[in-house]
Amino acid sequence: MTLLQVVYYTLGAAALFGFLSLVVLVLTWAERKALARIQMRMGPMRVGLHGTLQPIADGIKLFTKEDILPSWADRRVYWLAPVAVFVPALLLWVTLPMARDLVLRNLELGLFYITAISVLSVMGLVMAGWGSANKYAMIGGLRAAGQLVSYEIPFIMAIVAVAMLAQSLDITKVVDAQANFGYALIQPVGLFLFLTAGLAELGRTPFDIHHAESEVVGGPFVEYSGAHWAAFFLAEYLNTFTVAALTVLLFLGGWRWPAMPFDGLAHSTLSLAWFLVKTALVIWLIFWIRGTFPRLRIDQLMSFGWKLLVPLSFLNIIATAVVLFYGWPLWGLTIISLLLLGGTVYVIFKNPGTDMRRETVSVISARDLRRNPTVDAADA
Amino acid sequence: MVGFLEGLLVTLKTAFRKPVTLQYPEPDKRHQVAQRYMGFPALLWDGDVPEPYCTGCMVCVRACPTQCMSAQMTDNPKFESEESRRRKIIETFEINLGRCILCGICVDVCNFDAIEMSHEHELSKYQRNGNRVDLDMLLDMGRNYQDDTGWRPTNPSKNSGVPVKKDEGKGTPRRRPARARPASPSTEEEETSSNVATAIAEPEGTDPSGQNPVSDC
Repeated sequence: MTLLQVVYYTLGAAALFGFLSLVVLVLTWAERKALARIQMRMGPMRVGLHGTLQPIADGIKLFTKEDILPSWADRRVYWLAPVAVFVPALLLWVTLPMARDLVLRNLELGLFYITAISVLSVMGLVMAGWGSANKYAMIGGLRAAGQLVSYEIPFIMAIVAVAMLAQSLDITKVVDAQANFGYALIQPVGLFLFLTAGLAELGRTPFDIHHAESEVVGGPFVEYSGAHWAAFFLAEYLNTFTVAALTVLLFLGGWRWPAMPFDGLAHSTLSLAWFLVKTALVIWLIFWIRGTFPRLRIDQLMSFGWKLLVPLSFLNIIATAVVLFYGWPLWGLTIISLLLLGGTVYVIFKNPGTDMRRETVSVISARDLRRNPTVDAADA
Repeated sequence: MVGFLEGLLVTLKTAFRKPVTLQYPEPDKRHQVAQRYMGFPALLWDGDVPEPYCTGCMVCVRACPTQCMSAQMTDNPKFESEESRRRKIIETFEINLGRCILCGICVDVCNFDAIEMSHEHELSKYQRNGNRVDLDMLLDMGRNYQDDTGWRPTNPSKNSGVPVKKDEGKGTPRRRPARARPASPSTEEEETSSNVATAIAEPEGTDPSGQNPVSDC
């Protein structure tokens, strides 16, 4: 590696880190605003114009807070856990392109790299749960492990199906393959799988059981405060941005689709803006879902993941493989995908096969009993 | 699935509705209370004289179920110079708003239209004793209330502090104009402890125990 390359990567990494920090700050503000609007509130309004400086105020507050170490904590694990969560979140961005060549290092096996790195954050959460020496934290950490590991399967399988269509693991090539149509059009099931599993990977509502405030009072983060808690927080928002960006890159055509006018620099700027707008829309969708749906129970979460998403992701791969192998037109895959999606909806809401008999208790009002006590008592 | 989409639709609709939040502490954006709102008691200002209506008679202080008030009366210098009909006037008045239970008994017992439940209702203060308001603040609260509501005294003929002229007073035979009376013969100690109901200058011929000592002009 030459000196020039070292300088290039150092500067690039610094710029990327700066940009991502900015994105995270904006996201914390945007989420509070979005949720507030959904609840017909105004959200932060005091610091700066419409609360735009609120994230900075929050940051100052967090970084001047006392960092508390519980007396029974496993010290090294406790201090290392935020780093173990934050670093993988940052590492993902090494190979995520925001426009053509606007990437630190485009890897040939980019998608493989992403699937490999994204699992690492589970370890950080388990470490946080273990290191805190707190029952809630431990339960939360184990829940995180169970949830993230089971949802990793449909997440990766959705990525695999996309890679099969694009015949490449290189993200730039995946985006180029979508120049005419986004993969959301030919793999609606893939998009559904990816977004659902992605939400679970993020631990966002409705899959936020590992830091469910009403159950495990913040899960692995109970004991953390100040800057270390901020690291978890930053990683969470960074991952939200990552999943939204991946959705755009893999299913919504990245910066390619629909095509942009102009050439040269104007085209590059426009494609970057296009990518960011699409990402913002996906992020709004994630906030919107958070503002709408309640949390799943842990058994619902597990059965949804293993009984529905995992089989569906394999069916998706099989369908894609069959269509590609026999060289059927791609709109055939669209139809198969839509059928699968319809089947999923049917399974979720009609619940065939599990004909549950519910024991019901008929309630007789006291007035009825009084009017004709013998008859009603005999009926009951 | 329909249920899921319905839920999303509901939140989408509410997201585009106008927020119900009021930016509370800003004066022009806070919620306005109704005209009939009963806030903390405040002392009213007789703009005709001008001086407070209150004579410091202590009726409200004694009637207060939480003992949140204290008052002290003094001789009214304007009575000496014949600018006012009030022989006694309030000197200090303090209400601990934190103790007040907004029962309105002080207003009911007041003989002089001097106290009224104003529109003030905010208890958050920067000082520990910030809720103990003195006479000036009570009068400010009262003046705000009078400006807001266009308050009129319920019994102007009795409670106005404007001295009654000799010729105007002839219509009411039982009442002599206040300035026709000689200066108060009693000493200061006696006056402060004298019957509070007669703290306002009344004609000597009036029955002191009468329920309605002054007839309407």
